[in-house]
Amino acid sequence: MVRSDADMKRRDFLKATGAGGTVGITALAGCSGGGGGGDDGSGDDGSGDGSSGDGSSGDDGSSGDDDGSSGGGSNLPTYTYVNNAQSYNPPRHDAINLIASQFDEELGLDIEVDVLEWGTLFSRVSEEYDYSFSTWHTFFVSEPVTELNNLFNSGNTDPGQGNYSGYENEELDEMMGNYLAEPDADTRVDQAHEIQQTLMDDVPTMPITQMPQTAIYNNNQVSNWEADLANGFNSYWTMINLEMQGGETALKGYWPETLSTMNVLGHNDESKHVYQFNMMYDFLVQLNNNAEPDPEVSLATDWDRVDETTIEYTIRTDHSWHDGEDLTVEDVAFTYNYINDNEVPLYSTQSQYLEGAEVVDEETVRINMSEPFGPFHLGIANLIPIIPEHMWADRDNPSQANISEPVGSGPMMFDYWEQGSEFGLTKFEEHFAPVDFDRRFWRVIPEASTVWENLINGELNYEPFGRIDRSLDQNQDNENIGTQFNTAATFWHFTSNTRQEGLDDPQMRKALVESIPRTPIVDQILFGFPEPGFNVVSSAFGPLHTEDVTEYEESIDAARSRLEEAGYTWNDDGAIQAPE
Amino acid sequence: MGKASFVVRRTLQLVVTLWAVGTVLFGLFRLMPGDPTSYVVSSQMTQEARQQLIESYGLNDPLHIQYIRFLENLVALNFGQSFHSNQPVTDIIATYMPNTLVLMLTAFIVAYALGITLGVLSGWYRGSRFERSTVITALTARSVPTFYVGLIVLWIFGAELGIIPMSGMTSLGTGGQSTGFLDMVFTMDFLRHLIAPAAVLGFYYMGYPLLIMRTSMLEVLSEDFIDVCRAKGLKERTIMFKHAARNALLPIITAAAIALGYAVGGSVLIETVFAWPGIGREMVRAVLRRDFPVAQGTFIVLASTIIFLNFVADLAYGYLDPRVTYD
Repeated sequence: MVRSDADMKRRDFLKATGAGGTVGITALAGCSGGGGGGDDGSGDDGSGDGSSGDGSSGDDGSSGDDDGSSGGGSNLPTYTYVNNAQSYNPPRHDAINLIASQFDEELGLDIEVDVLEWGTLFSRVSEEYDYSFSTWHTFFVSEPVTELNNLFNSGNTDPGQGNYSGYENEELDEMMGNYLAEPDADTRVDQAHEIQQTLMDDVPTMPITQMPQTAIYNNNQVSNWEADLANGFNSYWTMINLEMQGGETALKGYWPETLSTMNVLGHNDESKHVYQFNMMYDFLVQLNNNAEPDPEVSLATDWDRVDETTIEYTIRTDHSWHDGEDLTVEDVAFTYNYINDNEVPLYSTQSQYLEGAEVVDEETVRINMSEPFGPFHLGIANLIPIIPEHMWADRDNPSQANISEPVGSGPMMFDYWEQGSEFGLTKFEEHFAPVDFDRRFWRVIPEASTVWENLINGELNYEPFGRIDRSLDQNQDNENIGTQFNTAATFWHFTSNTRQEGLDDPQMRKALVESIPRTPIVDQILFGFPEPGFNVVSSAFGPLHTEDVTEYEESIDAARSRLEEAGYTWNDDGAIQAPE
Repeated sequence: MGKASFVVRRTLQLVVTLWAVGTVLFGLFRLMPGDPTSYVVSSQMTQEARQQLIESYGLNDPLHIQYIRFLENLVALNFGQSFHSNQPVTDIIATYMPNTLVLMLTAFIVAYALGITLGVLSGWYRGSRFERSTVITALTARSVPTFYVGLIVLWIFGAELGIIPMSGMTSLGTGGQSTGFLDMVFTMDFLRHLIAPAAVLGFYYMGYPLLIMRTSMLEVLSEDFIDVCRAKGLKERTIMFKHAARNALLPIITAAAIALGYAVGGSVLIETVFAWPGIGREMVRAVLRRDFPVAQGTFIVLASTIIFLNFVADLAYGYLDPRVTYD
């Protein structure tokens, strides 16, 4: 029987998301032990979407082993939807089971769900291409097309190169290439719109939910939360604008697991590290809440695009490092050359565009690109931390340096790091963009109920991890708790492996997208906090985002009609048959 | 065979066992699905950079080369460097192990002191209401999941009554104030934080010695020498503790040695519930993130401790019971 999602009844929903799911092959169970869990380095950190966090414990509980492959008799292959363990990210685990059951029961696809530990899942998708559908929390940094180019460029389809969907479109390649080389911001806006329109027409990937940026805090102690694009309410912009209240002088947060390293060039880009290093180090440019470079709060006070491969920055001459040494243009040039010469893996994408940096005069540094790169501020200058030459010059292998007391020049200085327990920063009084608090610390607390108790009683005063779960739903109206939500640049993606038979057909992909119950996932699994997704470039990107893309209704009827029009049929068992 | 040759023989066995454990660990971690670099790479990393990382970890070398290097390092007690933090594994163990030891040893002492005493008494007062209640308590202690007890304790004594701290080893925001581990341990703040997790763990561990001691007491109490003691007119308390309990203690030695060995591995659940920065959580985290050096290092330390303490228990047997020989 064909139904629309509007008819989806709660019983069906619970049946689909319930322990074990209705389809699935259980692979690996296990405790999650670390952040962000789910802090996995590929961009998915398990945070912000109700993950139990990496520090949460407990058995997976297994997702059930019932096979659920119905619809036998399809002449299309059996499709595999890879799923994370329930303990790693419970809501996403449930959502994947739900989507798979829709494909199975409503579209007649032969589908199985493989529940995998994160590392295995990521390898299966990004290197082995041994999957049909994948979903995780995709993080786009401040420049969306750099990321889209990694994900969808036809030249990146070899294992591990980034284009795991296998989608190839020469026109899109050209559009993205033009965008990346375009120095004019206004022109780039039009190009970005065209890129997202093309992608949403062909849907190699689809945002299921547009995740929110969250500010959750004790409103007696801290106020004035302003988000920026990439890091939301954990950004530099947020921190320098926060206002402390009630005599409180410390910003007190938590993370479910410990930091891994104090090496700003040797971390894996997990949020927990980015949020700390963004406060300890300066960057050539910093963004304001409109995602624009703001010279008032940046190390560079001015910049000039000399030609399409050269850009010059004017640096503050009255700034110093946390150890008292002067910060000079030599340090800036050293940073760019050092990262380039040492092929620091963390910045390998940026290094592709860098040729080197040179000192022009005592306040100007010139950066030469190896090829034109238009969004230089967003894609490079805002991402590379400036490091002190006097501390790093003798380090041969920067990404593997074991650093215990980092020296930066940002608004917060390293104070202490008790591994597994607590990390503290103190205010750098000399900074040009000072913070309103004297210190900031993060306590490692894996247990969510403890965090909420501490937030309500004021022992903690903000929640940087962004856990979206039942506790947030229940506590957000507490008189001591303040919340703010913005649409983030991140989303849960649904990606089809277009190398597989059937999934290379755009009509099939569109039908799949139409049968994903995005609204029920948002409302019932994620407590209504995110928005249903519809565009790979979220509205958080400001003018780069457009609403003018193909939208797909959530409707099984529409999906089946589309498939029928494309020549698909169903046999007596309800199994879908590909066109002759 | 004398004691000396027993010690030599067991020491050699210990070395062989450790080699076997190390080899199994080496093989297991490499057989596990999943790519260790998937937790280290960022989405910003190119494929070349990723390959470079794999090479820097030595993971692209043939397995036998990796194995030989692993054994060489093991002999030198060098467990390598963490893939994630780039810290030497020995430093990581040295950071987390003391936290675990102080918690687990406290719990262990509480559990065995209470468990043995209650076991002696319940064996002595067999058939009484006291015996029934202690047996039920012991079974409950072993049956109820520790994390569940921990959460209830946190909720009642932490959130509701506010008499125990909710997380960690020290008060929130006081990190960096101690000059060293011992300096921290001997503070009231630390003791306040220690009480709840140690009590919950102690409650869990208590059941085992209690039941063993009770059973052992029942056996001893049926022996003739107890009647002889009574015939000699010794006080009941003297018979109970000095004669019966001492003779019933032997099985506890092995149980305690093994339990102590496992204690070195920490308790992941309790460390998670009470946010205690112990080695257990770090071990699980290393396994999940395929941080082979840290996982191997921590497991080998755990295995070595268990094997060594078992050896000590064997030696203690001979000391405590002269009838035991080293043949």
